[in-house]
Amino acid sequence: MEKMSSYSFVAAIIAVSMAFVLYLALTLSGLRALRMRTAGTVGGTRTLGLVIGPRTATLGRYGSILGWLGFAFLTAWLAFRTIATGHGPFANMYEFSVAFAWGILGAYYWFERCYNQRILGLLVLPLALGMLIHAATIPATIEPLVPALQNNLLLTVHVAVAIVAYGSFSIAFGAALLFLIQPTGGRWGLPKPNVLDEIAYKAVVIGFPFLAATLVLGAIWADVAWGSYWSWDPKETASLVTWLIYAAYLHARAVRGWAGRRAATLLLIGFAATLFTYFGNYFFGGLHSYAGLG
Amino acid sequence: MTQPAETVQVRGLASRTAVVEADHAGRAAARGIFETLWGLLTSMRFSLFVILAMAVLGLVGTLVIQVPASIESDAAAKADWLAGVRPRFGGWTDVLDRLQLFAVFGSIWFRGLTAFLTISLIACMIQRAPGLWRTATKPRVTVSDGFFAHARERDAIVVRGEAADLTGRIAGVLRKHHYRVLVEEALAVNLYGDRFRWAPFGSLIGHLSIVVILAGVIVGSLFGFRDNSFMIAEGSTLSVPTGEGLSIALISFEDAYYTDSGAPSDFASELVLVKAGREIFRHTARVNDPLRYGDLSVYQSFYGPAAFMSVADTDGRVLYSDGVPLAWVTKDDGRRVGMFTIPSKDIVAWVVGTWGGGDPLVKPGQMRVETYRASTGDPIEQLTIDQGVATAVSGLRFTFGREIQYTGLSVSRDPGTILVWIGSLLLIAGFAVGFTFPRRRIWGRLVMRPDGVGTLSVASPGYTTHFADRAFTDLVTDLRAACVVATAS
Ligand code: HEM
Repeated sequence: MEKMSSYSFVAAIIAVSMAFVLYLALTLSGLRALRMRTAGTVGGTRTLGLVIGPRTATLGRYGSILGWLGFAFLTAWLAFRTIATGHGPFANMYEFSVAFAWGILGAYYWFERCYNQRILGLLVLPLALGMLIHAATIPATIEPLVPALQNNLLLTVHVAVAIVAYGSFSIAFGAALLFLIQPTGGRWGLPKPNVLDEIAYKAVVIGFPFLAATLVLGAIWADVAWGSYWSWDPKETASLVTWLIYAAYLHARAVRGWAGRRAATLLLIGFAATLFTYFGNYFFGGLHSYAGLG
Repeated sequence: MTQPAETVQVRGLASRTAVVEADHAGRAAARGIFETLWGLLTSMRFSLFVILAMAVLGLVGTLVIQVPASIESDAAAKADWLAGVRPRFGGWTDVLDRLQLFAVFGSIWFRGLTAFLTISLIACMIQRAPGLWRTATKPRVTVSDGFFAHARERDAIVVRGEAADLTGRIAGVLRKHHYRVLVEEALAVNLYGDRFRWAPFGSLIGHLSIVVILAGVIVGSLFGFRDNSFMIAEGSTLSVPTGEGLSIALISFEDAYYTDSGAPSDFASELVLVKAGREIFRHTARVNDPLRYGDLSVYQSFYGPAAFMSVADTDGRVLYSDGVPLAWVTKDDGRRVGMFTIPSKDIVAWVVGTWGGGDPLVKPGQMRVETYRASTGDPIEQLTIDQGVATAVSGLRFTFGREIQYTGLSVSRDPGTILVWIGSLLLIAGFAVGFTFPRRRIWGRLVMRPDGVGTLSVASPGYTTHFADRAFTDLVTDLRAACVVATAS
């Protein structure tokens, strides 16, 4: 099983890398179409939303298929690794990084299906790929669990829920970035600001309750294992900070002067906080430290 | 983000009386201090700043090393601790300390913000609840012309036919789209439809459950207790502070390790709960498996070596016979030490263990005993004694029986926890419901001319999601189709 899971892992890296190359080609082809259109040739209706011309459409289709394949391989990885370890494969940085990549891909393809904005993939696929490559640098050996982690149910659910939140936030990040690089009103054939706003909002609306659930499950676990549901451990504090930033974003959307660019900036800060929380294991110490580095 | 400025902004909780927002502007002129405060407490803009300020404090708390609570409460230990971090923070150490940034989560800033946020949450929801209730039960069916002219989503359909028939068809379309429909007939026919009218209460409950969680935290800190360093040696019994006559006995402690990596695999303390000398409960506490009895919880926290010591006076009367946890480590030479008192003789005895093989002072199989006068702290005598040999120290006979282990438990009673869990559940459920079922509202006005031609205006404040926009377009398409059929007939 451990072997099968490593094969799936490698296959996923290859699939996601190739998908990324196709998204890159797709974007270039979209850009060319944009140039031709501004030069007077009839182009498509959406340029960097990237449904344009037969060639771009084909590239897009294959890109998506490869991305889906990468997601499928990672799902297989999850299954094999779960069987091999007897719990959700979330007990060390290697497993958690691969799971994070799985969350990003899953969230991305959910949104691609709903909104068809493949340019988002150009931003989000490298995040997933980065997580996978980061995972590849960490030894993948299955270590037995130290006592505090010996709670298969809570370990699995706590982290699985976190993965959904993190995946959603990476989509919100991509959308906010695309929102911010355009001048108000939209430019360069990028997806329209209001579409990006909706994508980001939808992603946060999923991620926010899931991050809340992550915090609560973590508190339940802390209560079971250490007898105290909250102890201001740096990792849990960082998660709370992240959650607060997204709460601020949800408020900002309804405050005049904050809706729009400032709200989108909060999403970038929120994602920075997400990554800070995630990589916190490397420098925080504290109760979560041994959940990390073997 | 893209609404035109003049649009009435209505979303979720904010949409109390969607359409009468304009009336409010005039009232803002004369305000007393109370109103200013109320305005601040219920302002979403201000709550945004408060939430961000909390986030910044939290970030400080993760980036700046925090004093452990046990040290914070002890001035001497605190001074030591500050000296320890001084190399890292240099001249900033005192500034940070003065600003309470080494103990952010107990600081005046943090408490102040939390208190403010709590009051603000309550104020906000008090302000919003009646409006939400009214909108759900007795919504305004007739709205101003301005709304039809400026709403974020609006459309107008030319219709032909008879008012009553058309009204029926329009209501039918709305119902098919799962809207509740209300109709008021005056000069024109006014229609109102809504979906998920109770869902905004999810968001309201989500907000209030933050207050419930904070209430749980306060109840816990007022009425609970916690002892994080409750140490018992194997074979000993210790009474629980404020434990209503309960004491805990440690039968045995086991620690196990993975053979290949040496990492710990299990810590287990076999515990017996004793009341009035009788065993009332027994449980082996492990990490992830605490002993729970009523609302008392006992957790496995840490462990270490202990020395079984006995002390007798010269007549052979036993004054002390118990396990002494060697729970501390000396700063300069790293030896494990423990202590016990013999009250009848005004003596405090420290027991010092060995480092191991190369220790010149205390060899394996020995313990060093250092006695002090309990009342004055003056040293009396220091002597290394061999295991199993009764040795005279300061006029008493000390015996080091054998080396055993002690367990470090965390004993707590927290009556607020249940509120925290209830609040957490409501928080997630409340916001999830609010997000999943965004309330939708739509107004329509049918104006017929005597010649049987008329206009149906429809308008909606707009929603936060793409799908809802599409839903509006779909709805208008269906309405148009229904009214065209009416025309044909
Ligand atoms: C840490 C504290 C807070 C958190 C975590 C929080 C969270 C949220 C969330 C997640 C939403 C979106 C709900 C939805 O759209 O259905 C929201 C909306 C809202 N919040 Fe808060 N909130 C907090 C404090 C406050 C305070 C103090 C106020 C009062 C000023 C407030 C007023 C509102 C209002 C009026 C809305 C509705 C916004 C809209 O209709 O779009 N919140 N809040």
